[in-house]
Amino acid sequence: MEREARTIRVMIVDDEELARSLLRELLAAHPELRIVAECANGFEAVRAAAETQPDLLLLDIQMPKLDGFEVLELLGGQIPAIFVTAYDEHALRAFEVHAVDYLLKPVSPERLAEALSRARARLAQGARAALLPLREIAAAARPGPRFLERILIRDESRVHVLPVGTVDSIEAQDDYIAVRAGGKSFLKQQTLAEIEALLDPARFVRIHRSYLLNVERLARIELYAKDSRIAILKDGTKLPVSRAGYARLKELL
Amino acid sequence: MHPILFRGRLPIYLAAWVPVAGLLVVLSALAGGRGWPEALALCVPLTLAYAFLCLWSWWLCRAMPLEWARLLRIATAHTLAGAATSAAWLGAGRVWTAGLARALRDPGVVLRYQRDLPLFFAFGVLLFVLVSCVQYLLISFEASRAAERRALELEVHAREARLRALTAQINPHFLYNSLNSVSALTATDPAAARRMCLLLADFLRSTLRLGGREEIPLRDELALADAFLAVEQVRFGARLALEQDLEGAALDCPVPPLILQPLVENAIVHGIAGLVEGGTLRIAARRLGAGIELAVTNPRDPEGRRVPGQGVGLSTLRARLAARFGTQAQVEVREAPERFEVRLRLPAGSDHGA
Repeated sequence: MEREARTIRVMIVDDEELARSLLRELLAAHPELRIVAECANGFEAVRAAAETQPDLLLLDIQMPKLDGFEVLELLGGQIPAIFVTAYDEHALRAFEVHAVDYLLKPVSPERLAEALSRARARLAQGARAALLPLREIAAAARPGPRFLERILIRDESRVHVLPVGTVDSIEAQDDYIAVRAGGKSFLKQQTLAEIEALLDPARFVRIHRSYLLNVERLARIELYAKDSRIAILKDGTKLPVSRAGYARLKELL
Repeated sequence: MHPILFRGRLPIYLAAWVPVAGLLVVLSALAGGRGWPEALALCVPLTLAYAFLCLWSWWLCRAMPLEWARLLRIATAHTLAGAATSAAWLGAGRVWTAGLARALRDPGVVLRYQRDLPLFFAFGVLLFVLVSCVQYLLISFEASRAAERRALELEVHAREARLRALTAQINPHFLYNSLNSVSALTATDPAAARRMCLLLADFLRSTLRLGGREEIPLRDELALADAFLAVEQVRFGARLALEQDLEGAALDCPVPPLILQPLVENAIVHGIAGLVEGGTLRIAARRLGAGIELAVTNPRDPEGRRVPGQGVGLSTLRARLAARFGTQAQVEVREAPERFEVRLRLPAGSDHGA
């Protein structure tokens, strides 16, 4: 009985006012849904999601600042999402991130209803089913076969966008990575191996079990003890270089 | 490949030589005082041999293309070549007559042949030059046919390109998004929904009508861009601001259709749409020397992710302008982190070829 009456809290994310108003209107036909937030861009969406904890996202893909996939990545893949977009070419990626559905604009009320009933089924299975390995979402957030262009970091309700060119190095810290850029350090929940797989190997080299280095930042390498070297970056930072790391570095340079 | 030997024309060519052989037989029988068997046995094989011998003039024709300024040289060369060929032919004829004299047991065959040699020689030169003339005709006929085919191919290509350009201009995502807006407006503001339908129809109609033309006045191209922007303005609302700086003298210049529209569309998709607050799209047109300069400028998010597909419209436009104006048209891109500008410089008017 209580389950039946449960309302689903929905967040609408679309940069076009008219597109949002259409979804608002169509959702009015489903009284069990309640719109808890409407956002016009990815930053707002990440912040609003942290504050309102919605059960379901209606998510556009092409938006200012962050696209729909990046929003999903930053939210940790915990909130089921229905993509709503005019572009059919992202459908495959949407399935990779286990999107509930993929609606094409112009949105039809019937297709929306179908998507919503899928979302209800997904939510009824509990939070477990909605959870998706972050790795998969992050991989799908990367457009096409190209390498990652920017690293997104969520810090409470704030989002930092770090273009990979500004990143000096990345350090593994248990299940987290610390991304160093411009003298600051940003923590992100991702393993070093996962981010390494997304970055351009001609640019980022695994110089040590715990360190990825942006080779453009390297000033010189010094021998520190037998078989043990340290990399000195242009800003003076020192990072350890393992034997295998040194071999990889030598091969690249 | 020889155009007569290898293209099924040999029977026709040999048939053309039958009257020549006939004439020779009759002349050498009646005027040369030969019996009919001798005249036939002498003239038919000789003519047939000469028919093949003369074919080599084709290579001479090819080596010396017909030019009025060099006509005398060409005529001299063919006459000399004809003399040499004729001499060679008659040398071979001498051997043939020796055999013929033995076969007919009549030494007079050789004597009569030697008596008529100058006549045969003159005839040979004349025939060689005639064959050359025919080959020149054939060459120019084939050249004009090839030119015709090329022109036809070119036209087909141009038409295909125009059609492709036309269909590529109307971006389906633009249509889907616009229809989504119409759908949104039907409930909240039916009058606005109707207005949007009309704007959309307006844009589609002008694109289809003007897109097929060779060139249109810049004024019409600007109106087309305006129709597109009017639709986008409904979608983007206050996020899309417009600024136009148009020089009156430029408006009547003819330009190829749909050169501004892709730039304006790029400015929105890759610029304004990526900005939370939107921005101002600027269109400028002015006379520049003998031509005109068009500029489309838009702000963009310096940290924005570059949407794939950028530059497709731009490279299509570049190719279209290059095909039409060659180096007389330029597409210049001025890129800053927060600004993107494309400048087109074209010759003004259809007299650009001059």
